[in-house]
Amino acid sequence: MTRSDWLEQAINLACGLLLLTAVGALWRREVSALIPILSVQGIALTAIAALLASEHPAGAEAVVVAVLVGALKVVVIPLLLRRVHRLVPGARETRPLVNVASSLLAAAGLSLLAYAAAGPLIDASPSPTARATPVGLALVLIGFFVAATRQRAVSQIVGLLLVDNGIAATAFLATDGVPLIVELGVSADLVLAVLVLQVLTARMVRTFGDGDLDDLRELHD
Amino acid sequence: MTADVRGLVIVALALGQAVLLAVLAPYVLGLTRAVRARLEGRAGGRLGQPWRDLRKLLRKGPTSPADASLVFVAAPPVLMATSIVVAGAAPFVATASVAGRADLIVVVGLLLLGTVALALAGLDTGTAFGGMGASREMTIAALVEPTLLLSVFALSVRVGSTDLATIVSAGATDPASVFTPASALAAAALAIATLAEGGRIPVDNPSTHLELTMVHEAMVLEYSGRDLALVEWASSLRLTILLGLLANLFVPWGVATALTPIGVLIGAAVFVVKVGLLAVALAVGEVFTAKLRLFRVPELLAGSFALALLAVLAAAVLG
Amino acid sequence: MELALFGPVAAPVAGAVLAATLPRRVAAWTSVLAAAGLLAAGIALATGTVSRPPGTAPLHGVSVADGLLRADALTAWLVTAVGAVATVACWASVHHLDDQARAGELPKGSARRYLVLVQLFLACMSVAVLASNVGLFWVAVEATTVVTAFLVGHQRTRASIEAAWKYVVLCSVGVGIAFLGTICVYAAAIATAPDTAGARAALDWTYLSEHGAQLDPSLMRLSAGLILLGFGTKAGLAPMHAWLPDAHSQAPAPVSALMSGVLLSVAFYGILRYKSIFDAALGPGYVRTLLLIAALGSLALAAVLLIGQRDYKRLLAYSSIEHMGLIALGTAIGGRLALAAVLLHILGHGLAKAVAFCGAGQLLHRTGSPLIAEVRGALSSAPTAAALLGVAVVALLGLPPFALFASELALARAGFAAGLGWAVALAFVLVLAAFAAIVRHAAGMLLGSTVDPLTVDAEQPPHRPRPGLRWVPLVLGLIAAAALGVWLGPLQSLLDSAALIAAEGTR
Repeated sequence: MTRSDWLEQAINLACGLLLLTAVGALWRREVSALIPILSVQGIALTAIAALLASEHPAGAEAVVVAVLVGALKVVVIPLLLRRVHRLVPGARETRPLVNVASSLLAAAGLSLLAYAAAGPLIDASPSPTARATPVGLALVLIGFFVAATRQRAVSQIVGLLLVDNGIAATAFLATDGVPLIVELGVSADLVLAVLVLQVLTARMVRTFGDGDLDDLRELHD
Repeated sequence: MTADVRGLVIVALALGQAVLLAVLAPYVLGLTRAVRARLEGRAGGRLGQPWRDLRKLLRKGPTSPADASLVFVAAPPVLMATSIVVAGAAPFVATASVAGRADLIVVVGLLLLGTVALALAGLDTGTAFGGMGASREMTIAALVEPTLLLSVFALSVRVGSTDLATIVSAGATDPASVFTPASALAAAALAIATLAEGGRIPVDNPSTHLELTMVHEAMVLEYSGRDLALVEWASSLRLTILLGLLANLFVPWGVATALTPIGVLIGAAVFVVKVGLLAVALAVGEVFTAKLRLFRVPELLAGSFALALLAVLAAAVLG
Repeated sequence: MELALFGPVAAPVAGAVLAATLPRRVAAWTSVLAAAGLLAAGIALATGTVSRPPGTAPLHGVSVADGLLRADALTAWLVTAVGAVATVACWASVHHLDDQARAGELPKGSARRYLVLVQLFLACMSVAVLASNVGLFWVAVEATTVVTAFLVGHQRTRASIEAAWKYVVLCSVGVGIAFLGTICVYAAAIATAPDTAGARAALDWTYLSEHGAQLDPSLMRLSAGLILLGFGTKAGLAPMHAWLPDAHSQAPAPVSALMSGVLLSVAFYGILRYKSIFDAALGPGYVRTLLLIAALGSLALAAVLLIGQRDYKRLLAYSSIEHMGLIALGTAIGGRLALAAVLLHILGHGLAKAVAFCGAGQLLHRTGSPLIAEVRGALSSAPTAAALLGVAVVALLGLPPFALFASELALARAGFAAGLGWAVALAFVLVLAAFAAIVRHAAGMLLGSTVDPLTVDAEQPPHRPRPGLRWVPLVLGLIAAAALGVWLGPLQSLLDSAALIAAEGTR
């Protein structure tokens, strides 16, 4: 196989891994199982970024972006998540808004929706990896679903991170990555957001006694 | 060879393949039981024990419940017949002999026909356990059949045809097409569907004696003698068929793509080895997993359905 | 002139550094100086970017920092608005923190954190408005969410933790949608000129405006929906408004003033700049329809939910949703008159809402209860706070001589001229319903005699706040809002230039 064939195969494998981990995030009940899933997603994303960087005309910047993505999503974010999880160890999703079987079917439906919606992105984009953009969009939609239907604090944070991973995947596949300065800003924002949520979770556990978001229902009209 | 001779060879090959699988099936069952026993620290029965059980049962006369109708009596032959047809028609030993005859949808439909026949027989007995087993079996089947169809369909997207023989020979001639995300996802989905369809742990425990935990066994509680022999044989045959499909779709090398005697012999030998290895893997898996509670089974099956759908998506998008 | 571009960012950052090191009272007054510095920088930018003679093509903006920051008339108008509201809010913070310290509600380090975060918040908003680049704008908007999270949860009560959690999660999700839209816009931009791929230039407002007509329509349709949904969440438009009442009612009053007064407008500023780009690519109908749906939806929601409100800070929050709905309506109408009305509305609403929230905060301190039902006859028991709150509510209701009257009138004129009379009529019916609800609640709170004198005395704090300086920022804010409604004076040319840029795109 030529080098670009091999590259394309590798990127396809990484995308397949992204899809698999997205389904895995909906499948497992134990909140502690979500963290390794996110780490694996981070590895897949870093692989995509690195593979694209090796083909990029403006090489150095793309490599820096890949390293940044790797450091953030494989090391920093799972570390922060583990700290959040330690606040309420043994947490399980016992009463999600949508039960596991239906969530999995919904995830399948959302993937089809992503495939349908990605049409304009695929047509407009000149890069050869743009065909795989539905994977990124599917990840975004599944992330929204997780954030919307899960009852535990850590699960909502994981949903947000899935959305961000999906958007990063879409950016890499459809546009070869956003400029470095934007990537820096986005990463900084993400780390800060997770830190903020970690502190808020700690306060929540201290005040309400548990990381269950069902307790948050005093404010309404 | 001329068209007539070729036709005769194909028929002979199909019959031979069916006989091979029918003979092999109880040994596969015996192998899983033996491996499991060894791993659990027991001595266990010998490899040929299921054959001895079948011979014992075939000598005995069948009985039927007083209220049962023709459905009860007809179900075992229907089950066996559909299984034999699939055994002969699917590409296990050679692809050339079955090209154009083993369409995915037909194969899955025949397997489903057997399942439905047995479920109806379970209902026909009029007992509580029969009805319970039948309803559980159909719940599982409702989720498993779409998964079976979709996971093999994911493989067919690349090849452009739902003919199983075409898919297998395409995989045998082009190895790169086997290592794609689509086939990985489809393999995972099909593996779970095999476990469910074949009534193995974690969906159903074939060796349980507690009626309330039974799914498949509950439907066949009233069978005895020749009928029971047919049902048991057909179940092991179906498991072998599913394992064989799993092996040949995802590890297609060794299947005879041309109708040469050497090729066919090699194909048969490789097939036996592959199914044997899968049976051992199945047994090892069973030792280390527990059966799922019944209300958790739809989760597992929905997960495998989602994987199968993602496999189709991956095949369409990632190529 | 170039130095003035750094002003709006440097002043708050300096304020933050000083707030981290100085003792509380000095730090609080320093923060007021920083906010005043922001306002001064805004005025300097205004003088530098306005076009002469007024009404002609706007000056090309000035950029610094390798083209990262850029200012034109629209930027200057928004920086001025941020500066004005920030001055009022920071000055009121001084007295808010004093009151809290006296009541013993200020744990150690809490005041320092509050002051630093408010200054960082102002810096983020300035960066967002000054950003030349769509990506940097997004980063700054997300940064405001992160920075204000702890401000919303400042009081460690159960309700404020709940409000902070919902705020961070919902706004992050919404802003994430906006980022997806930004990526789609980026994809469209580099598709027109593949050699710009990877270059920051493809994300500049100027580049996108110039190449607007060449961007792929179906991709832009997708991005327009995502951008409106995403930045609409941050701007509080229905149906993504769910975080707003909780966050704005649980935050300390000066923070609510800043969030309601300017943060919503800064988020909407992004939509304003994007609108001309989308109109160039898709024609004016698509974005107009989407904005009309959002506007009328917000107005309807606010009108209905204002009727049954029980908490007066939540009441003010829903009033913010109503006014953002009016701003969205003006943007939907489009054209220079409507957009000028929108910009005036942004400034007027910012000032009036800031005064209203600060007054409400003072009232909360005096009466101890956030519920409307428990505050009766405030004009007799807490005269100055109640009077200022009352006048601010009058301003918010759109009564003359305040700026909101002028902007709503101009909006109506522009709407009828553009053929959207039905939408304007429907909108004003809803505004009337909201008017009635607010008047009913406010009159109940302010007028009449106080409740049972015994209970009032028992709950009266053991001190009366020293009069004098604490009312100055609120009075100044109201005077500014009234003056703007009558005569824009030197701001007229700035408003014209800014409206022209908003209507025709960034050059």
